[in-house]
Amino acid sequence: MRCLTDIEVQAVVDGEASDECRAHADACETCRTRVDERRDQMETIASLIDADGMPSSALELRLRHAMSEAGGQPDRIGPTDVRGATVLRARRPSPWRNVGLVSAVATAAVIALVVYGVLPRLGAPTTLSASEVLERSLQTISSGQGVERLEYEVAMDGMTDGPVVIRQVIDRDNPHRYKVASYRPDGTIATAISQDPVRQLRSQLFHVDGTNYIVRVGAIHTPVLSIPQMAQALVETSIGIMQAKSDQQLTIEDGPTGRRYIVEIPPVTPQTSTTTLDLISARAVISGTDFRIQEFNATGTILRQPFSVSVKLRTHEYIGGAATDDSFAITPGPDDVVLEGQADEDPVTELMTTVLRELGRARGN
Amino acid sequence: MTTIAGSWMKAVDRPFASPATPTCTTPPPATTSTSLDPQAETLRLFQEHGATLYRFCRSVLRHTGDAEDVVQETFLKLLHHLQHDGDTRNLKSWLFTVAANGCRDRTRWRLRWLPWIAERDHRTVDPVDEEVRLKPDTTQAGRARKAFRALAPRDRLLLSLRAQGLSYKDIAAASGIREQSVGRLLARALDRWRKQCVA
Repeated sequence: MRCLTDIEVQAVVDGEASDECRAHADACETCRTRVDERRDQMETIASLIDADGMPSSALELRLRHAMSEAGGQPDRIGPTDVRGATVLRARRPSPWRNVGLVSAVATAAVIALVVYGVLPRLGAPTTLSASEVLERSLQTISSGQGVERLEYEVAMDGMTDGPVVIRQVIDRDNPHRYKVASYRPDGTIATAISQDPVRQLRSQLFHVDGTNYIVRVGAIHTPVLSIPQMAQALVETSIGIMQAKSDQQLTIEDGPTGRRYIVEIPPVTPQTSTTTLDLISARAVISGTDFRIQEFNATGTILRQPFSVSVKLRTHEYIGGAATDDSFAITPGPDDVVLEGQADEDPVTELMTTVLRELGRARGN
Repeated sequence: MTTIAGSWMKAVDRPFASPATPTCTTPPPATTSTSLDPQAETLRLFQEHGATLYRFCRSVLRHTGDAEDVVQETFLKLLHHLQHDGDTRNLKSWLFTVAANGCRDRTRWRLRWLPWIAERDHRTVDPVDEEVRLKPDTTQAGRARKAFRALAPRDRLLLSLRAQGLSYKDIAAASGIREQSVGRLLARALDRWRKQCVA
C-alpha cells in the first residue's frame, strides 16, 4: 500500500481510519512518525484548550437560579426568554473596594453567628423535631451571656484575594456592643468596625494604600447596625428553612481529635425565591464534644442575591471578665490616621461626612 | 458553486437548525433516562460536561463571560429539552451541537456592533479578546496559543470539538459540515496552525 495522505494520517490519530490505514501506519516507519507528530500536535492543542481553565464557581449558581425561575414554567425557556448573563460581571478592583468589605464583613459575621449560634443545636438533629429545633435555637440565642470571642476564615464568591480571617468580639449581654475585624491572607488588616454604647463610641477602619484610616465618632445617640441583632432576626428565617429540609444527612466520624458529626443538606433546586434567606445546599462539620460547628459551606440566596460561603472556625472562647473597654475599641497604631467625626443616625452618612469634611480642610476650604 | 467555506457561512447566516434534534451517532449512555427529574438530570450533566463545554466555548469565543453565557443558555435549553421528553441519546453530542450554535449566534451578534476599542472602555465588562490585555508571551506555548487564536473561526471550532473528544459524526452534527469532510478540514486546520506557530 502507498504511504498515507495527511488526511489519512489525521484519521489514524483521531481513531477514525480504516483498518487498512491503521495497519499501514503500524508497518511503515515514515507514516508512523507522521502519525506520532500529528498526535503530539493534537495533544498540544488539547492542552491549550484545557489551559483555559474552569468556569467560575458562580456559573453553577447562575444556572440553578435560572433553572429555578423557569422550573415550574417549562415554556418560559424559549429563544426569547434565555438571553445573556443573568448577573452583572465583576467590576475591576477599585481603591475604594475596601468600603464594600464592610458589608462583606457584616454578612460574614451574620452568617457566622447563625452558624455558630444556631446550627450547633442542629448537630444532633435526628431526635429533634423541627419545632423543637426552632424552640431550642431561640432559647440559645436569648440565653447567651458574657463576652464571646471568635476567629474564623471566610471565603465567599467575589473574594479574589483569597479567604479572609474574621476576628470578632460580642457582648451577649449588650447586643449593640461588638467589634468585627477582617484580615487579608497576608495578615494585614482590611477593615474593622466597632461600637460601644457604654462609652458611646463607634469606629470604622479602612486600609487604603498601605495606611489605616480610622473614622471615630463619639457621643452616639442611638446604637445602630447591631450585627448580633441582625443575626437574631435571621435565626427564625434560617430555622424555617431547616424545617423545610427534611432530607438532612448525618454522618459520624471518629478521628484522632474526637467524634465529628457531618450534617449535609443535599443540593436542591428551589422555586423562585421570595424569601429573604434561602439555602440551596449546606454542609456542616460539627465537633462531637461541644456540638460547635467547625466548618460550614453553603450556597443560597440573600435578598434574592446568590451567595456561596465557606466558613472555618479557628478559635472560640468566652472571655468573660477578661473583656475590657479596649476589647470593643479600634486602637490606632502610630502610623494610622484618625479622623474624628460627628454622630449621625446612619453610619454611612457619618463616615462620608467625616471624610468629606476632612477633604475640605485639606484643600483649605 | 458550493464550497465548504460557503456552507459554513450559510450555517452562520441562515436560521439555525433546531437544536432539539441533533444527529445522534453513538449509543445512549446507560445513566440517561427520561424518567429522571429534568432539573436534577440537567445539573448532573452540568457537573459532567460543564467544564469541557466551557473550555470549548472559551476557545471558540475567546471571552470568558460570553463562554459562560453560552454554557448557561445551553443547559437551560437542555432543561427545556428534557422537560419536553426530547431525545436523550448521546446528550454530549447534543450539548456540543447547541453550544456550537450558541457560539455562532454570539459571534454573529458581535458583528452587529461597532468595533470595540478595549483601551478606551472603562466599564465593567472585559474586552472581547482578553488576550490583548496580557503581555506578549514569547514562550513556545505562548506562540502555540497565539497561533491557535489566530486561526479562522471554523478551524478553531473543529479543532476544539475534536480536542473535547467528539467523533467525526458528532463534529459534523455540531458544526454543520458533512461528515466526509471533517477529517480533511481537521487536517488542514492543523497544518495551518502548525504554519502559524513557526511564522
